[in-house]
Parts: sequence; C-alpha cells; structure tokens
Amino acid sequence: MNALRSLDLALSRAIGAAQWLALPIAALLLLQWPLREVVARFSREANDFGQVAFALYVSIALTSAMRAGAHLHTDVLSHRYSPRLRRALAILGILLALIPWSVFVLVAHFDSARRSLGLLESFPDTSNPGYFVIKLAAWLMAMLLLLQSLVELMRLLRADNQ
Amino acid sequence: MSVFGLALLLLVAVLVPLTGLPSFLILLFAAAVGAVAGVLSDTIPAALLAALPIRIVNLLENDLLQALPLYVLMGALMNRLPIADAIFQTSLRMMPGRVAAPAVAAMGMGALLGPMNGSVGASIVALSRSVASRLRSSGMSPPGIHALIAVASTFGIVVPPSLVLILLGDAMMGAHTIALNVSHRPDQVINTQDLFRGALLPAALFLLGCIVVAFLDRGPSPPTVARPSSPGRGAALIALIYVAFVIGLLVGVASGRFYAVEGAAAGAFMLFVTCAASGRLSNGALRELLRETMTTTGVLFMLLVAATTFTLVFRLLGSDRLLDEWISNAPFDPRLLTAIVLLAIALAGLALDAFEIIFVLVPILMPPLLTRVPDATWVAVMLLLALQASFLLPPVGYALLMVRGVLREHVDSVALARRVAPFLFVQLLVLVLVFGFPRLVHFGKPEVSATPVPMTDEEVRRKMQDMLPRAAPN
Repeated sequence: MNALRSLDLALSRAIGAAQWLALPIAALLLLQWPLREVVARFSREANDFGQVAFALYVSIALTSAMRAGAHLHTDVLSHRYSPRLRRALAILGILLALIPWSVFVLVAHFDSARRSLGLLESFPDTSNPGYFVIKLAAWLMAMLLLLQSLVELMRLLRADNQ
Repeated sequence: MSVFGLALLLLVAVLVPLTGLPSFLILLFAAAVGAVAGVLSDTIPAALLAALPIRIVNLLENDLLQALPLYVLMGALMNRLPIADAIFQTSLRMMPGRVAAPAVAAMGMGALLGPMNGSVGASIVALSRSVASRLRSSGMSPPGIHALIAVASTFGIVVPPSLVLILLGDAMMGAHTIALNVSHRPDQVINTQDLFRGALLPAALFLLGCIVVAFLDRGPSPPTVARPSSPGRGAALIALIYVAFVIGLLVGVASGRFYAVEGAAAGAFMLFVTCAASGRLSNGALRELLRETMTTTGVLFMLLVAATTFTLVFRLLGSDRLLDEWISNAPFDPRLLTAIVLLAIALAGLALDAFEIIFVLVPILMPPLLTRVPDATWVAVMLLLALQASFLLPPVGYALLMVRGVLREHVDSVALARRVAPFLFVQLLVLVLVFGFPRLVHFGKPEVSATPVPMTDEEVRRKMQDMLPRAAPN
C-alpha cells in the first residue's frame, strides 16, 4: 500500500510541475509572430521549443485528466446502475482497454524512443536540438497512463472489497 | 474483415451510452478487439500495428494542435474575468426598454464567448452560470431559458475562430489530402483559414436569424423589461478589450496575417496579463487555473489519441476501403450523397460531442465523400451546421440534454420543444440555404463547382495535349 501511495504522490507531483508548461507554450508561440515578422530570425527556434514543451505538457495532461475523472462520457443509462456495477465496468475498461494500449505503445515505441535519445535527435527541418524529447514524450505518455491505471485499479478493487 | 470494422464502429456507438464509461476507453477497447481479430485472421500483419506510436508522435508534433491548450487556457481565464457579466450588462444598456434585450444579450454572449470556450458543454456551463439567473429575474419561463442557453451555446460550433473550427480544419485537411491523392485532382487542400472564411457568412446569418426570433418571440409568459445594473468601468473596459480582441483575432486569422495558434497564444497571453493585473491570480488561483487547463487539455487529447488508435485499426481492417467503395459507387447525385453522410453524422451528434465526431467520424467518412464532392469547404461548413442542428433537436439533442443536466430543473419536454422550434427553424433555413447555394461559403472568392466534373482517361489525355505547345507547321 505504501508503494501505491508513493506512486500516487509521485504522479501528483509530476502533474503539479508540468502544469506550469502552459505558460512557456503560450509565450513561445506568441513570440513566433514578432520573431518572424519583425526580427526575421529565431521564429523556427521558438516554434521548435514550443513544440517540445507542448509534447511534454500533453503527455502528462492525459494522466491529469484521468486522475480528475474528467473524461467525456454519457451517463444517460449508467446513472441508474449500482455503484458496484459502475466500479466493475471501470475495472473492465482499465483491464481490457487502457492497460493493453499502454503496454503496446511502451513495447512498440521502445526502440524508436531509445534510438532517438541515444542520437539526441534534432528536428529534421531545422536541425534544432530537442526532437528526441517529442519521441520520448509519446513513451512517457504511455508509461504515466499505465501507472495511473494501476493506481486506479487498486483503488477500485479496494473500494469493492470494503 | 472489412465489415468487422463497421461492426466495431457500431459497438462503440452502443457501448458509449450503455456502459457510461469514457468514450476514449470504449474506442481503445474496440481498437484492441479489432487488432486482435485482425492479427488472428491474418488480415492485419502485426508489424503494421507498430504505426501506432508513429501516429501518436505525429499528433505531438502537429503545429495546429498546439492551439488546443491555448484555447483551453483562454476559456479558463475568461471564466475568471467579469467579461460575461460586463457583456451582458452592456448589451442590456444598448437596448433600453426592450423586452427581448436579455435574450438578445444572451445570444451575443454565446457568439462572443462560445468560440473561446472550447466545447458546447463548456459554453453551457459558462452561460448557465452567468445568464440563467438574470434571464429568470427578467421573467423568462424555464423552457425559454433552457432553449436560449442551448441555442447560444452552439454558436461556438459555427462562429470562428472557435476550437471546433480549428480541429475540424485539421481533420478536414487530412481527409481532403487523402481524397485528392485518390482522385488525382489538382485542387488546393483545405486549410483552417478556408474554414474560418467559409463559416463566417452562415454563422452571421444564423446569429441574425436568432436575434430576430428573440425579438419576435415572447413565449407564453412575456418577460418583463430587464433593468441593467452598471457593469463598472473596469469590467466594461475588460469586456470592450475582449470583444475587440476576438474581432481582431478573427480578422487576423481569416486574412492569413497570423496563424491560428499564434492568435490563440496572443489571446491567452492578453487574458493572463489582464487577469493578473486585476488581482485574480493569487498563487492558489493560478495553480487552480493551470490545473484546470491541463485537465481539459488532457480530456481532449486523450480522445484524439484514442480516435487515432481506432481509425488506424479501422483502416488496417480495410473498412475505410469498404466505405470508400460504397460511397464511390452509391447511385446518388453528389449533393444527395453529401446529405446522406451528413444525416448520419447528425444522428451520431445526438449521442456524441463535436470533438468525438471530429476525431472519430470525420477521418472515416470524409475522405470517400470528398473524392466525389470536390468542394471541401462547403462540406465542412455543412457538417458544422448539421452538427449544430442535431445538438438542438428536441427531445434528445446534446445541447438540450446538457442544459437540463447543468441547470438541474424540471422542464416540460413539449414546452421546451416549442421554445426551441423557431431557432431550429432558422438553423435549418441556413442549412438549406448553404446546401442550395454553396457560393455562400465562398463569399468573395472565384466560383468553385460543388459538383464534380468527372473526366475519362481520354478527356484527360486530350486536355493535356491541348495544354502542350503545338508543333510548328513545316
């Protein structure tokens, strides 16, 4: 249980830190326009770094949405279900959809992400550094979702046993 | 196995309302079932599934999608500023003594706030919070309030520069590229600016029609004349800056002076500075703002990731080719075909939000349709109008159900349908107008044919020869 609590806390801290990335994303993408139109330099750099920040931000945002239970759903019928049935459906959803998807992406993307990191891959169009972060972000997204799925699964199972 | 993909689509449509689970989970589940069945039946080579991470990386490096968190941030900032209140009070002051003033003010708010609020659901929450009590105190009946908020919330679908338009622009760009590759037509691929410009006139017509309805419609219990309270100079100034900004953003993006993502960044930055300067972003409030932004961004992006996964499996099963075959060989006029496809999307709109339709159905249905109907802007605008109509269709239209859920008050369905009917009539009128006159979406541009001009191989060869310089006579 302690490990689960630590994992939960670590995810919460990662989200808390990453949420600040919204501000540099806005600043970098705003800078793009004057850099292109007025300074006529560095706009591609601003765009590339904005892209890196965006990829990292989004990769963590998915877990944030899951923790908040904010995902779009229709409760036309399910509001009539018992809490136990709703928990059972949520467990099935995690076991049959989210965990297989996360594991698949982690495995299928591992080599590509590792190679990109090893080469410190640059952006293909501009040769600016940091493209490897985007590839790593896809892997990070799957990893965080897998960890959050496990936290969620344990919480649901514990609630079922009580 | 190509029929199996369509069965999976049906499975998604059934499981989403039946289980009450988030749509992204159902999409991932359907994709997993399809992938396993495809690999076991040798329809899908397992190696092709490795394209999934590449597709996810493509999403992460998509320039247009960077606008997503910025729009969400703008919506969250806007809800923290007294913009809604100031716009409402200022609108009332502009129409002194008019009984319809609150309704018209609510419409104006929907048109101004909707594009920045992100989704129909978010607009309904914002409008319910800011105008429901004022409409109630002006004597408007509950069905009238429900109808008005539902209609005003759908302006975000058609009024540029909304998030829905940006995301649809991206999805249509992908679908149109596929269609042009298949049909070998040398047309220019649709972009966000085309969609902004195309939606402008139909959106203006709808807004105008709704304002006329609001002036004419008194309902069963005529509302009293609302007395505006003073919005305060600071709030009025903020509202004025905001309105000027939205118009500037629209003009800038539509005219191509800057990209949508840059406009969104400027908007987010401006609202952030305004919020901070007015003391609304203390440390706790700022954290809450950023948390809300990240969560909403995550909701939309998760849906996009799940839809990308599902459409990959759908394509690998060959279901897109089956649909393509059906649509290509359908013995209908391209316009009738467009109407049939849009009707199917409108029916889906009874259960799904605009984002779910854009991410899941547009990439599946639009490429084959656009191979037969060359005017992508017209199709995209028609799609937006069809979606809007379906969201307002009593008794189960998405916007109507959402308003019920948010306001949590009982409203007679027949009474609600009666109050929505005039607005829905205006909406359908605009839909029919755009359907009949595709020029409405090409306002100020050279004429584009809405019907395809098929050419045989012989005609193509002859045309090519005509274009080549003729040999000089000896």
